[in-house]
Amino acid sequence: MTDPRTIAPRLVVLGLAAAAAFAAACGPKNVAGPIRPDGALIVLLPDEDGSTGRASVSNPAGTADLTAPRNASNVAPNQRPGVVTMSEADVKRLFGDALEALPPAPQSFTLYFRFESDELTEESKALVPKILATVKGRSAPEVVVVGHTDTMGTPSANFALGLKRAVAVRELLVASGLDAATVEATSLGESFLLIQTPNDTPEPRNRRVEIAVK
Amino acid sequence: MKNAKRLAGVLVFAIATSVPTLVYAQQPNAAGRVKVASGTAFIVRNGTQVAAKAGDAVFESDVLRTGSDGRLGVTLKDDTRVSLGPTSEVRVDKFTYAPAEGNLALALKVVRGVAAYVSGRIAKLSPDAVHLETPAAIVGVRGTTLAIRAGA
Repeated sequence: MTDPRTIAPRLVVLGLAAAAAFAAACGPKNVAGPIRPDGALIVLLPDEDGSTGRASVSNPAGTADLTAPRNASNVAPNQRPGVVTMSEADVKRLFGDALEALPPAPQSFTLYFRFESDELTEESKALVPKILATVKGRSAPEVVVVGHTDTMGTPSANFALGLKRAVAVRELLVASGLDAATVEATSLGESFLLIQTPNDTPEPRNRRVEIAVK
Repeated sequence: MKNAKRLAGVLVFAIATSVPTLVYAQQPNAAGRVKVASGTAFIVRNGTQVAAKAGDAVFESDVLRTGSDGRLGVTLKDDTRVSLGPTSEVRVDKFTYAPAEGNLALALKVVRGVAAYVSGRIAKLSPDAVHLETPAAIVGVRGTTLAIRAGA
């Protein structure tokens, strides 16, 4: 792995070359320049869904807004932060190690139940192997199982039913081979409806267990 | 309307998978868990440095630290993800995640080296509850993936 300290001078050279090449174009700078030992380099990257969020970078001298992919601010003390756009190659060179160590995004699944029962619908039963495969593909997996109901019956009865559903799913997952210590089960009863309904309304889409695999 | 419903669904799910009333809670106070650890990687807790491995719990006030061949990747309870390249240090200064009560707080400080950050539900539910900094800069996030280097 390249020592980052050797990259900074190389970036200066690259920066000069880029400046010469694009002087007439006056486009955004392609490199962030050398990073000061007492400074920082902050780069905004696209999210996994392809969109890009926003970030602001501040020090006592001012604030810079990062709004586009690979917008970067190379912050030096007592200087107002600016914004440049880094190349993908520079991002990879400077941050590749950290980016490769990012854990995968948590994945969610929703299972549905028959009316007033803790028995899964056929479609939901068929999802279980996919959930197991997702868990087994992960390093140090954690599974969070949360039971929900529709608004038929009392809130307290529905809390109990939601818990019964979550525990049933937890037991199913553990019986299918998951480590019991990594699977949590809990209930939210009728308090977090997926589909808003009046009280005492049967709604199959609210009779669900939500599973997050992390 | 459809989008609003979908958003409501997402929020319901976000809150639903995060309730503190755990029936089979392993370490309810843990802020997160190590998912990736390679080379020389440590968790420093109360001044004691312990080798980090995948599955280790991470708590508020822990320091994540890597040596010259180390990497570390952590997923926090709100699905925030943080990773460190070699010769790096990140402090988990604050982590509170109780969305049902509206208590949300995350403070991370990249003390040195390289880190990557992918925002989680705290940033989605309450962007102002996230505090990200290096010794030279404060970073405000709005649902974001970031790469951060502190120092040369």
